[in-house]
Amino acid sequence: MRTEQDALTTTSNRLHPKQGEVIDRSTTIRFTFDGVEYTAHPGDTVASALTAAGVKVLSRSFKYHRPRGLLCCSGHCPNCLVQIGDEPNVRACTRPVEPGMEVRAQNVWPSLNRDLLSLTQLGSRFMPVGFYYKTFIRPQKLWPLYEHTLRHAAGLGEVDIDTPLGEFDKQYLHTDVVIVGGGPAGISAALSAAETGAQVLLFEENPALGGHLRFTVPLESSSTTKASKDLPELLEAVDRQPNITVFTDTSVLGWYQDNWLCAVKGARLFKIRTKSVVVATGAYETPLIFDNNDLPGVMLGSAVQRLVHLFGVLPGGQVVIVTANEDGWDVAADLQSLGVNVAAIVDEREPSACASPYREGLTNAGVPVFYRHTILEALGSNEVRGAKIARLDGQGEISLATAQSLQCDLIVTSMGWTPATELAYMAGGKSEYHEDRAEILPVSTPPGIYVVGRAAGTHAVNSQISEAQRAGSNAAAFVGFGEFDESTAYSSGVLEPRRTSERVCVPGKKKQFVCYCEDVTDEDVETAIAEGYDSIELLKRYSTISMGPCQGAMCSMNTIHLCARANDWTVQETGTTTARPPTTPVTLGALAGQNMEPVQTTPIHQWHLDHGADMMVAGLWLRPNHYGDPAAEATSVRERVGLIDVSPLGKLQLTGPGVPELLERIYTNQWDNLRVGRVRYGVMCNDEGVVLNDGVCAHVNDETWYMTTTSTGATTIFEWLQWWLQSGWGEGIHLTDLTDTYSAFNLAGPQSRTVLEKLTERNLANKAFPYMRLRSAKIAGVSCRLLRIGFTGELSYEVHCPSGYALHVWEALMDAGREFDIAPFGVEAQRILRLEKAHIIVGQDTDAMSDPLSANMAWAVKLDKPDFLGKPSLMRISAEGPKQLLVGFKMVEPNVVPDEGLQIVESEADGQLKIVGWITSSRFSPTLEEAIGLCWLPPDIASQNGASFTIRMDGHLAEARVHHGAFYDPDGERLRM
Amino acid sequence: MSIQLIRQAFNGNRPPQRMWHSHELKEQYDVVIIGGGAHGLACAYYLAKEHGITDVAVLEKSYIGAGGSGRNTAIVRSNYLTPEGVRFYDESVKIYEQLSDELNFNVMFSQRGHLTLAHTDGGVNTMRRRAEVNQIEGVDSRLIFPDEIKNLCPYLDVSDHPRYPILAALYHPPGGIIRHDAVVWGYAHQADVRGVHIHQNTEVTGIKVKRGKVTGVETTRGHIKTGTVLNATAGWASTITSMVGINLPLTTIPLQACVTEPLKPFLDVVVVSGSLHVYISQTDRGELVMGASVDPFSSYSMAGSLTFLEGIAGHVLELFPSLSHVRILRQWAGICEMPPDYSPIMGFTPVDGFLIDVGWGTYGFKASPIAGKTLAELIATGKTPTLIAPFRLSRFEENELVGEKGAAAVGH
Repeated sequence: MRTEQDALTTTSNRLHPKQGEVIDRSTTIRFTFDGVEYTAHPGDTVASALTAAGVKVLSRSFKYHRPRGLLCCSGHCPNCLVQIGDEPNVRACTRPVEPGMEVRAQNVWPSLNRDLLSLTQLGSRFMPVGFYYKTFIRPQKLWPLYEHTLRHAAGLGEVDIDTPLGEFDKQYLHTDVVIVGGGPAGISAALSAAETGAQVLLFEENPALGGHLRFTVPLESSSTTKASKDLPELLEAVDRQPNITVFTDTSVLGWYQDNWLCAVKGARLFKIRTKSVVVATGAYETPLIFDNNDLPGVMLGSAVQRLVHLFGVLPGGQVVIVTANEDGWDVAADLQSLGVNVAAIVDEREPSACASPYREGLTNAGVPVFYRHTILEALGSNEVRGAKIARLDGQGEISLATAQSLQCDLIVTSMGWTPATELAYMAGGKSEYHEDRAEILPVSTPPGIYVVGRAAGTHAVNSQISEAQRAGSNAAAFVGFGEFDESTAYSSGVLEPRRTSERVCVPGKKKQFVCYCEDVTDEDVETAIAEGYDSIELLKRYSTISMGPCQGAMCSMNTIHLCARANDWTVQETGTTTARPPTTPVTLGALAGQNMEPVQTTPIHQWHLDHGADMMVAGLWLRPNHYGDPAAEATSVRERVGLIDVSPLGKLQLTGPGVPELLERIYTNQWDNLRVGRVRYGVMCNDEGVVLNDGVCAHVNDETWYMTTTSTGATTIFEWLQWWLQSGWGEGIHLTDLTDTYSAFNLAGPQSRTVLEKLTERNLANKAFPYMRLRSAKIAGVSCRLLRIGFTGELSYEVHCPSGYALHVWEALMDAGREFDIAPFGVEAQRILRLEKAHIIVGQDTDAMSDPLSANMAWAVKLDKPDFLGKPSLMRISAEGPKQLLVGFKMVEPNVVPDEGLQIVESEADGQLKIVGWITSSRFSPTLEEAIGLCWLPPDIASQNGASFTIRMDGHLAEARVHHGAFYDPDGERLRM
Repeated sequence: MSIQLIRQAFNGNRPPQRMWHSHELKEQYDVVIIGGGAHGLACAYYLAKEHGITDVAVLEKSYIGAGGSGRNTAIVRSNYLTPEGVRFYDESVKIYEQLSDELNFNVMFSQRGHLTLAHTDGGVNTMRRRAEVNQIEGVDSRLIFPDEIKNLCPYLDVSDHPRYPILAALYHPPGGIIRHDAVVWGYAHQADVRGVHIHQNTEVTGIKVKRGKVTGVETTRGHIKTGTVLNATAGWASTITSMVGINLPLTTIPLQACVTEPLKPFLDVVVVSGSLHVYISQTDRGELVMGASVDPFSSYSMAGSLTFLEGIAGHVLELFPSLSHVRILRQWAGICEMPPDYSPIMGFTPVDGFLIDVGWGTYGFKASPIAGKTLAELIATGKTPTLIAPFRLSRFEENELVGEKGAAAVGH
């Protein structure tokens, strides 16, 4: 293990303090990388601190395990992906160092610097693109072994099984204008939009506003000069503008329909509804493809500038700059002014094409300049030791005879830009290839969406600012603030000189990478296309190019060029792949937010727990399954009295003159004749005649109806009714979900009337309050609705009371029942009781194919009604007769309870079993002291009371017999006592 | 290592073998298949290979595999609910098991097992019901409980505190994932080798019918005379079928999915939770591929929604709380066509010569081989194979629906 001393001695890559840097040199913090301790300053990223310490290799590549170092330094490429603690795939170049951070290299064996998996390169001739489709085919039985090996060689970071869930949250934002990108263009757009009075949200993925002006140098005569000097002024204006809210360190992840944006800042997800959007997302610098172009020490110009100006870190001492535009010269001038030895500027253009303001200065300073040259190869094994360059002949071909090697430890490429327009395309923007610019630029966007700055191909800062000011006012005008400036076509960028080279690839003999994430070489691309994967989408899927962590930021433009060339298509014909969210990878934690699935409890929850309830999940709710002995609970209901908390029942109130007609349509039975004060059971079906839900509905007064649904179906039925109400059946009807507002208890058993009478003045006599009636009453001083219904098969009252008084009412009922030995009962006892009555549970005894006619509920279907949901289907089923029937059964062996879900079978001649039905419900009945249940059977068996059939149980067969009617009190006398 | 690959390695400048070729559109084909996905290409392949019918055109409006074949979550299984479904999908699994060998193209069928979790006692009953049906039909499938679940999938939270406790699971060892594009390419290649014409970027704009019989197909590249047309499209199946005047009982709904950055392998089995509307698997490349139930609204949009991402993230973390730092890389959507009974519609239609292979909802990819094979037999013999008889179009008139709730979107 290296010591701190070792690490400290390597900090010579740190420059003298300079203005604009983001590090605090007054303190140092410590962290480790693969067990070695390093120091950093607050403000450093992991990558800047490691680069300052002279570390060049940060990761190994996906397929060949080649060493990889910093490339883009902007959080886009895969080269600096590391594991930090339990967090996999962290971009080291954007993650600030924290004290004690444990950083590790990913997917290496045994170590980053000696990764034996890099030996795969030796066999790379046998591992061309898509090799795995052509190998490991035979013998087939070895495939799992091959696969195991492939799987363990693949993957990047690791998931630590002990990772805590962490804390995440979400925030909703509403605004007039969203500006994505806080560079000079974004800031200018924000200021002009805000000046009109519009509310503006400005999002910047970096820790501070300023974009490229934060790390490009303001030298005299440069086009950036004025703007750079103005940056502090712009920032101050933003500060002063109350209509702008700035979000830094915040990535906008996607544009969704109707200007619904999503952004993430650390552990917080923003969901933003805006009226217009200005996309000022800048551009990705495009890498050049040449031999060994992935060697650590080959970096993009903008990456070097970031390191130098933001972190005061020099990634090399002797640099070769490969360029085709003025940006490369800017970098050269920048580095030279810092005392770096610029070994050469290699510019593929004619000298006459170079318009850099630094040209004279650099030439005079003796910097060797190679015009009409390009790079052939990065020399070195684990890091750059030199660059091989060569001259281009009159046709632009490489003249190998002129090849020469230059010594250097850093190769910087500035070959052009790929506009970062994903958001604009997600929003429906259209693009075109501009030959003269060699860039795919937006040509149109939907109303209210604007693209400015480098994203629109505008690089000159002054043009960026004026273009953005126009777009900002137009974005505001679109929302209704100020006037439109009609002159915003996407043109200003097009008028600029070319900055991007069409030479994306310098042919060579060694590995040259198009896609860093997936280790796809130019040769792979050519091979894939020759094999027939010629369209850009097939090429992507076969080679996996652009499907890795960078999602094409580094490779999309180069791939399109290579694809066009190999097919002899134009770039425009070749097209692009679809931009898909998220623009930046986002954690599941941030997307999920905090506690995603709350548990719902009734007001009696604590009482249940205090009384030994065993709780179970029922839909969103926790309900008592039992309080220790479900059979005894059932018996107490049959013999005395019991109380169950049925608060999770769906409770919907419907008011309005049209309710009876609505009920006629959504229930299968008749409703328009239900008088006030009466309750009726009903079944709801969908268009296919499949049972959706069941429950009772009471006519409360003239225009008010009170409906209950199953506990798990409450939300679904509320939505279902809303859907129909909004589809034209809702004239004058109000639907209110009272599920949480009211709690409900079922007081059941022969003694229930006596118990309830103790708590109310309401006359509960059978004549005054008969079965299937609704009454209002004060129970223990609380206004309640009482429904006399009987799922359990006993005399019973469902007490609905305001949830705030629920515990009081519950306890009053328990107190009143004490003298009758009242017992609370849970879901399990209720299931036993209802099964003894052969009452069905929708969703347990029925499934997505069950209709009420087959489910033994023909009595609840009135086919001569004018119309109702499911009628046509049910008419047909009625005419043709059901294919299966739900029917009761008893076991021949009365103590054997078949599990729910078991199949009813017949043995065929060949000994095979044929499925003829299945068990939906089964219990041991404490009342009858035998096993009973419900099952689906073919009509010929189901229709014969006592017919026997066979159930497959644990591989053997058991006999059962059809039972018609309720198992207990078949005439329902006890309900009507 | 394949001979092909060794040859490729030492061939230097010789171009590699082309998987499929471009052709001029002929004036006439014996059979025209609309839809260059796994179904259409499989059918073309089996027509050529098993029935000697090679004068076949596969018309694809985009690139092959652009639709559902390349957008599904690549899960293959046969632990369905109805005996008809189990038998049908089991035949498909059996073909998949030897497909790499048959196509000489590694489709990477990875039978690492498939778990469908049950979070409620009702869910346990449903899983038991499926296990029983599966076992009777001879498919390896059984109900397992938290200890065994934890062994198969250590990262699952099987403690009793989650909102959705894991009470049991339906374990289906032969289930797994496959490289879906490879299935498309493998079939395309072998069909091409046998003389089938694959026409990409060729969109069907009309179908000619004379006196109740198909006579030709109009495309963006010209007219084709043919007496037999198979509609093997998904997403636009009802649009294509309406060209011959038939309305199908289909609802068109997007189904979304997403994928994470690559991770070292930690999840062997496919994990599905119906209650949480999520299915998740880890590819050989290390990415987690995740999907949910179909969108709540019918639409033809393939844009994807934020709601989906938020929902699936929450649900995945319910099951795997240690994945909170794992990053989503990409989301997408495909278009499904849902029949009312969650079962496909295959075979003859009232228009003579116009056949359909549609209504594949969320379960189409896994059936590609057997669908292609049985439809090829139907085209060649004029008779409906027993295996697909339950899926005939006329079942809707005959009230013979196939209740395949086990195939619903969350059943992957």
